[in-house]
Amino acid sequence: MDKVELMIDGKRIDGRTADQLRPISIVANPIRNAAGSAYIEWGANKIFAAVYGPKEALPKHTSDPEKAVIKCRYTMAPFSSVEEHGKPGMNRRAIEISKVTAEVFENVILLNKFPGSEIDIYIEVMQSDGGTRAAGITCAAVALAASGIPMRDLPYAVSAGKVGDTVILDLNKIEDNYSDADVPVAICPRKKEVSLLQMDGNLTKDEFDTALNMIINSGSYISQLQIDALKKPYEKIEERYL
Amino acid sequence: MYTKIITEEYIRERLKNGLRDDSRSPFTYRNITIKTGNMPNAEGSAEVTLGNTTVIAGVKVDVGTPLKDKPEEGSIITSAELSPMASDKYEPGPPTPEAIEISRVIDRGIRAANVVDTKSLYINEEKVWNAYIDIYAVNYDGNIFDAGTLAAIAALSTSKMPRFEDEKVVRENMGKLKINAISTSCTFAKVAGHILLDPDGNEEAFSNVRLTIANDEKYIRAMQKGLGGSFTPKELDQMIDMTFNKSAELRSSIKHAIGD
Amino acid sequence: MRKIVVPGEIISDRPLRMEGSIIEDGKTCSTVMGVFDDEKGTLISLEGLWYPRPGEKVIGIIDEAKLNTYTVNLQAPYKGIIISKYTEDIMANGDIVEAIVKDVDKTGMAVLARARRLGGGKVVYIKPSKIPRILGKGNTMINQISDATKSSIEVGMNGLIWVKGGRIDLVLEALVKIQEEAHISGLTERVGSMLKEKTQ
Repeated sequence: MDKVELMIDGKRIDGRTADQLRPISIVANPIRNAAGSAYIEWGANKIFAAVYGPKEALPKHTSDPEKAVIKCRYTMAPFSSVEEHGKPGMNRRAIEISKVTAEVFENVILLNKFPGSEIDIYIEVMQSDGGTRAAGITCAAVALAASGIPMRDLPYAVSAGKVGDTVILDLNKIEDNYSDADVPVAICPRKKEVSLLQMDGNLTKDEFDTALNMIINSGSYISQLQIDALKKPYEKIEERYL
Repeated sequence: MYTKIITEEYIRERLKNGLRDDSRSPFTYRNITIKTGNMPNAEGSAEVTLGNTTVIAGVKVDVGTPLKDKPEEGSIITSAELSPMASDKYEPGPPTPEAIEISRVIDRGIRAANVVDTKSLYINEEKVWNAYIDIYAVNYDGNIFDAGTLAAIAALSTSKMPRFEDEKVVRENMGKLKINAISTSCTFAKVAGHILLDPDGNEEAFSNVRLTIANDEKYIRAMQKGLGGSFTPKELDQMIDMTFNKSAELRSSIKHAIGD
Repeated sequence: MRKIVVPGEIISDRPLRMEGSIIEDGKTCSTVMGVFDDEKGTLISLEGLWYPRPGEKVIGIIDEAKLNTYTVNLQAPYKGIIISKYTEDIMANGDIVEAIVKDVDKTGMAVLARARRLGGGKVVYIKPSKIPRILGKGNTMINQISDATKSSIEVGMNGLIWVKGGRIDLVLEALVKIQEEAHISGLTERVGSMLKEKTQ
């Protein structure tokens, strides 16, 4: 593959600085049938997350008498990419993302409140432009909070990476394709704990530290967007009576 | 969570006075909205709401090989994804018979009305364009048939067309997908002996027979009766008349949305 | 001061024991979307789920009629169960029932007693956390709605509400208004004037 110039005079191909996020907007509860749902636009990514349950875990052998089980399904619509028509359903990549996403939420949901039950999280990528797993996790956290399922924290996720010698935050699709490293991370912001970590490419320890710092520093902004999305419906109603 | 559960007894009681649960008369559509171009990575896209039913359709145009029986034209390929995000009645997994029926009925309406100019999809003896239409249920409250058809037609009507240069698909400076016509569909369900247009989720749950009629201005283009019950010829007549009557409204909603 | 809090938010530097919160490192952390009142030391969940408690009235839908039992969908994490011999009514799948929670078994399932089939009507779901406001102090709110609309209404603590007869549309409008505005004071008066205006 030809090398593409991803950084010119300190600016990225879309004009961002190294540690700048793409524009993000989140809406809570767009899907009325779900117990909780959310829709996120993160750059050109457009993703729904919907939560159903807790409900009786079926088939029975999947249930745990001590706690709830999380069943997560991440999929991409066949029309989500600028390139060719995709295959519908789950491929190996989608199965892996579903697994690590479920594990992010196992870490924060008070699972022992619902023994024997399952909580279903559906993440549907309608349009993709790099970083969909991170945006999906950020979106699903809002859907879970909106459903009333108790959680000890409200996780967010974002990826960092490297182009040439520069560590950058929140890679878009082109950057992702030509980058030297990609590190998607989910953070539980209250204690700044890492609950998703994947990486491929090459990074020195210093570069990894820089990447993680960027991810943590971007947290207060992403968290605030999640909180605003959750509070907005209530504040709108309050405004009516001010 | 939004739940509304009604009994058959309640529906019957309401229909005695000619009203449905949401105070519609039997042959009225719910409020329709159509938004196009909301998923710009796709060549064409549209989001349609029909009351509380929401669907998103996306169109991708890709190179394939011509079918043996149609060597000089391309094809359309329609799929419906009844995503479990849309309702707890949908399960994750491969397409159900219900999803396949919906996609095939929508496909037939579009195909029979020659909505897409498939002759314009010819490239050379070995290659043609295929237009893939994928319809996603986002929130289910009945009548995915008509919402899906509206979304598919709106997405096709605003779809771009890639170019084929040096044996490669080029998705820059795209032209427009060539469209010949607009078709729509009207779906009816019989509930407690009453025929209802545009059934919502509760009404579908209590219906014993269903009919979808796809048409354009002149012709009926596809029909599908579903579920275990039956209709009389007189009822069919009534529904066909109603379809030609109502489809003018649907066509004008689409035309408005696609800026035609 | 009352404020809206979200999961993971530290709401007090002291340990407070409240439903919808956990204590970690001596601090109180909310686990739900809720309204926290630091003067009263209360946390009221805005989106909370329902957990059955003995003695509570519930409304449910028959899920499965078996030989000796009925399982009941309560729109909650766990189903309810009715032992056929303890009810006089014969029920079928999809029937609406009213019952009292007798016991909660170790799997979380609510064992129901005094089950009664509710014929006709319709059921709507309102967030269970809003049910106390829908009933009002001494049932004042629900009586006010029932009187104004001439509808029969049965309220389940699990969030399902059965309505039959009268101005059902107006009942639903009032219920949704309460669900949305439950956290703002002066609710009874606002619902009262809405009902008065629309029934004149």
